[in-house]
Amino acid sequence: MSAQATSTNRFLQIFSGPFGALLALLYAVGVTYVLTLDPRSLLGRLLLFSALALIYFIPQRPAVKFLLGAMLVLMVVPAIGLRNPFLLEIGFQVAVFATLALGLNVVVGFAGLLDLGYIAFFAVGAYLWAFFGSQQIWHVDEPPGTFTVYATFPFAAWWFWLFIPLGILAAAGMGIILGFPVLRLRGDYLAIVTLGFGEVIRVLANNLDKPINLTNGPQGITPIQRPPLPEFLTSPELLATLSRWAGRPINANDVYGFFFYFLGLLILGFTIIIARRLDRSKLGRSWTAIREDDVAAVAMGVPLRRTKLTAFAIGAAFSGAMGVLYAANRTFVSPETFSLTASISILVMVILGGLGSIPGVVMGAAVVTLLNIDILQSLSLQLSSLRQGPDLIPLLGIPWKELPTQLDPARYQRFFFGLLLILMMIFRPEGMVPAERARLELHEEEGEAIPDAELEGDLAPDEKLAD
Amino acid sequence: MSVILELTKVTKRFGGLVAVNAVDLRIETGSISSVIGPNGAGKTTIFNTITGIYKPEEGDIRFDGQTIVGMRPDRITAQGMCRTFQNIRLFHNMTVLENILVGAHTRTPSTAWGAVLRTRHFKQAEEEARQEAQRLLLYVGLPRGLGDQLARNLPYGQQRRVEIARALASKPKLILLDEPTAGMNPQETESATRLFRKLRDDLGITVVLIEHDMKVVMGISERISVIDYGQKIAEGTPAEVRKDQRVIEAYLGRHAESTTISMH
Amino acid sequence: MHLRRVNPFKEILRPLGQLLIFIAGSAVVISAITLLLAVLLRPTRIDIDILQTTLVLLPQVLIDGITLGFMYAIIAMGYTMVYGVLEFINFAHGEFVMFGAFAGVELLIWLNAQGMLKTAELGLALVWITLAVLLGMVVAGSLAVTTERLAYRPLRGAPRLVPLIAAIGVSFLLQDTMRFLQSAINGDFYRTFPEFGPFAQRLTLFTVDMNGRPIDVAIQYKAIMLIAFGVVMLVALNYLVNATRLGKAIRSVAQDQKTAALMGIDVNRIIALTFLIGGALGGAAGVLWAFRFTRVDPYMGFIPGLKAFTAAVLGGIGSIVGAMLGGMVLGLLESFSAAYFSIFSRGAFGAEYKDIFAFGILILVLIFRPQGLLGGKTTQKA
Ligand SMILES: Nc1ncnc2c1ncn2[C@@H]1O[C@H](COP(=O)(O)OP(=O)(O)O)[C@@H](O)[C@H]1O
Ligand SMILES: [Mg+2]
Repeated sequence: MSAQATSTNRFLQIFSGPFGALLALLYAVGVTYVLTLDPRSLLGRLLLFSALALIYFIPQRPAVKFLLGAMLVLMVVPAIGLRNPFLLEIGFQVAVFATLALGLNVVVGFAGLLDLGYIAFFAVGAYLWAFFGSQQIWHVDEPPGTFTVYATFPFAAWWFWLFIPLGILAAAGMGIILGFPVLRLRGDYLAIVTLGFGEVIRVLANNLDKPINLTNGPQGITPIQRPPLPEFLTSPELLATLSRWAGRPINANDVYGFFFYFLGLLILGFTIIIARRLDRSKLGRSWTAIREDDVAAVAMGVPLRRTKLTAFAIGAAFSGAMGVLYAANRTFVSPETFSLTASISILVMVILGGLGSIPGVVMGAAVVTLLNIDILQSLSLQLSSLRQGPDLIPLLGIPWKELPTQLDPARYQRFFFGLLLILMMIFRPEGMVPAERARLELHEEEGEAIPDAELEGDLAPDEKLAD
Repeated sequence: MSVILELTKVTKRFGGLVAVNAVDLRIETGSISSVIGPNGAGKTTIFNTITGIYKPEEGDIRFDGQTIVGMRPDRITAQGMCRTFQNIRLFHNMTVLENILVGAHTRTPSTAWGAVLRTRHFKQAEEEARQEAQRLLLYVGLPRGLGDQLARNLPYGQQRRVEIARALASKPKLILLDEPTAGMNPQETESATRLFRKLRDDLGITVVLIEHDMKVVMGISERISVIDYGQKIAEGTPAEVRKDQRVIEAYLGRHAESTTISMH
Repeated sequence: MHLRRVNPFKEILRPLGQLLIFIAGSAVVISAITLLLAVLLRPTRIDIDILQTTLVLLPQVLIDGITLGFMYAIIAMGYTMVYGVLEFINFAHGEFVMFGAFAGVELLIWLNAQGMLKTAELGLALVWITLAVLLGMVVAGSLAVTTERLAYRPLRGAPRLVPLIAAIGVSFLLQDTMRFLQSAINGDFYRTFPEFGPFAQRLTLFTVDMNGRPIDVAIQYKAIMLIAFGVVMLVALNYLVNATRLGKAIRSVAQDQKTAALMGIDVNRIIALTFLIGGALGGAAGVLWAFRFTRVDPYMGFIPGLKAFTAAVLGGIGSIVGAMLGGMVLGLLESFSAAYFSIFSRGAFGAEYKDIFAFGILILVLIFRPQGLLGGKTTQKA
């Protein structure tokens, strides 16, 4: 793999050859060991992430990388997840946001259309299942705030499976509807208009509890049904066995943790494959062409409107599917989830990873999600435990107790997102894993005529990073 | 001889400026013609109007017998007309081969569904398009290994050739070349001129050039149209145009072969 | 830029006249449409007389709309001037507004703590407010210059979306920076404009007789003050841009940076000054905003910023007169939609829809008339 050898740095060189593969394996095993010692440690999770990132970068055959990654994602994470379900939760969220980021990447990275209201499509999917998968239909003529309890649901839980494709269609349709009027707009105006659209959707979700109660307003919709688990997954024998392995009682709710984790990974996997195949097709080339120079692109026969609309539709479709899944996972949706901050956080994932770069975007999603729900939260926890104690803040000399709760790091997402955006734009606008490099590597591989099966295997690193 | 492209009284205005003023133009099928004139005369605007990037305020443009006024540029390209740009508009962050493949857009039958499902039809269409692109690369005189280079890393002369290959990928009946030898040295210009002739002689493509290099214009053109201040002031064979009093005035009155200005 | 003798008197009167025309014009048009709607919808409601309700509310709605319009117009100046020289949407402008607001409010809170505000009569109260506005201008102006220097200047010449994304980053960063500062110092992140002076008093203009009910048409001192500040700001800015050397330099940089540089203008300095002026105006608007709506928080600047951008686009971005017109129209529209949506729709659509209304306008204008109300038709370059 001379192509990769030249494009990796000296440090990664020690991971080449059979010895390198063994080294990577050792690292993965070491990480696993740290996690078994303390399944709850943040350090362990960060090491796990570093192992996945390392596996992506090392100069090894795709099949080797795939094997190593699959081992971590499909075996180690679920095994540790038995003892610490939070790990599965993080894995699920990374899968969700990586899928969203890949969708936004189609619009911003491939086609070059800056969409600042992207979260709206996620909202469409989520509210679709929230509305039909809960009892909200019975509530439409009730004013918000009345909590009548009904015995039945209008749609049984298994409809969930049908609503995933419906969510895809609804979001894609929405993408086209919103895309139509903005086709002619220049880049910066497009950004502002999509931001406006995103806000409009959120305000609507907040206010469509009257005249008829569609969204239940700011309170949100709950409970939303989860898809029924196959019987064998909840059989007492299986639960008992799992409990024995885990050293703690495992119930059906825990099984849902595994279920959503694997389902999330599955959808992410499909998304990666689709995004990758599109990127390397006629449509993908058309996207890049209109991003680079739309006049030249139309002069070469690329239909501008249709190409932009497909970008909007496909980008939206990804997040529509995840919206349905997310609503079921949370059993609750409310407008808060679909704020501008959420749209921007997905943009941060895309930019951090690398505009147009699929592995980069997945990696960016993992980093931002970890930062969001794990690192900042852990810091907040740490702070609040310090607050319980009598200690003084070093240097300042005032007790931790008196530190305002308003200073919790978890409340400062925007600060980190903002900083990341500025620094990336100034110092590394192409992202952590730039698209060009990735693309050139692909081409060189093609030149070596690697059979298709192996190219597929090359997908693996992206999938693994999802977690 | 049949006429492949016919402009009748085409007028294009930008606000108060009449960039193209009631221009008539007839291009015969299988010919090589040139459009010349001082900078800012309106030549590029004529090309932009023909290819559908601008819509003319007045007049008719017929391509292959049917009117193409108001037709979208990508549809016009699909009809069999393609062009290059005065200030080279390659897709800089795409590889050379990908650039040519974008040119083949209207001729590649693969679909998005095919791409996602990797159908046999898709793979076949992609493979054929790639081979064709590779062939075109060689045809315009570029080395085989160049396909995987990013377009922006190529020297100027090669970029011009890639642009021609990209245009050829749409299998045009008519190709419009906007100052294709600008910035080339004499050797490059000469070999480019040979290429233009080959396009017509081997491939049967009708060629229209905008050119400042009078050696190229006089050597290759069968007909020349002279534009000044948006109007056609003369037309004929090279010999006729050379002698035309108004052409001489237009060219001597202002500095003819000054630096090229960027296209707008 | 050829030399032109300016008549300073004219440079003051002209924007005044324009302002008056914009206010009167948009107020009349929007009131007329609203009254027409009220007449049309009258038969749909028997519980209340829509027309009468509309009329009773009208003066207050107009005054609210005009004060809001002034604030949008002043904030819009920041967008339009920066866009004029750099063709760049300064997403973080709303945060300059917010910083200005906090600066002014902190000063007043401090003065209040010293017991200086309680006793203030109208004259003294005016002095304190003016001081707060000035401080807001200084803080926001310097913040704008710093931001330009650190975050935007390194990106000049990069593809269009790059500085825009950085500006989004600046916006987020500034919001949470203020949140952090306030939380660390005060324990919470929002502040309240202290109450002082006779600003809540109303000046009754006249009384109308409505079916035997006397209705006072009155205006709060506060509103008068807001309008007065607004007029001074806008006229001063117009004077600065149209009648001074600095203004001339700004205009020539806006027209063509390269030529301006060749003529010996220090383009970097002019761009920094443009940010300074725009930021200072934003800071002033922030203090006025706080004065009007009392509460300030780190996220307060974002939505007004977006609306002021809408106003700038509505009037024709890059045009100062356009921003005044756009601000007025938007302020009035918002005030009217907040007041009448719910009455006209029998409570089905509340005042919350006023934001949707503003964004709707933004979207429609950008799509159908991106050059704005006052902008001429420009051909898009190929
Ligand atoms: N998009 C445009 N908007 C306004 N004016 C234009 C535009 N495109 C070209 N022009 C003007 O039209 C005239 C003809 O330009 P052009 O066709 O580029 O000349 P040529 O190619 O003959 O040098 C010039 O005066 C040019 O400034
Ligand atoms: Mg030209």
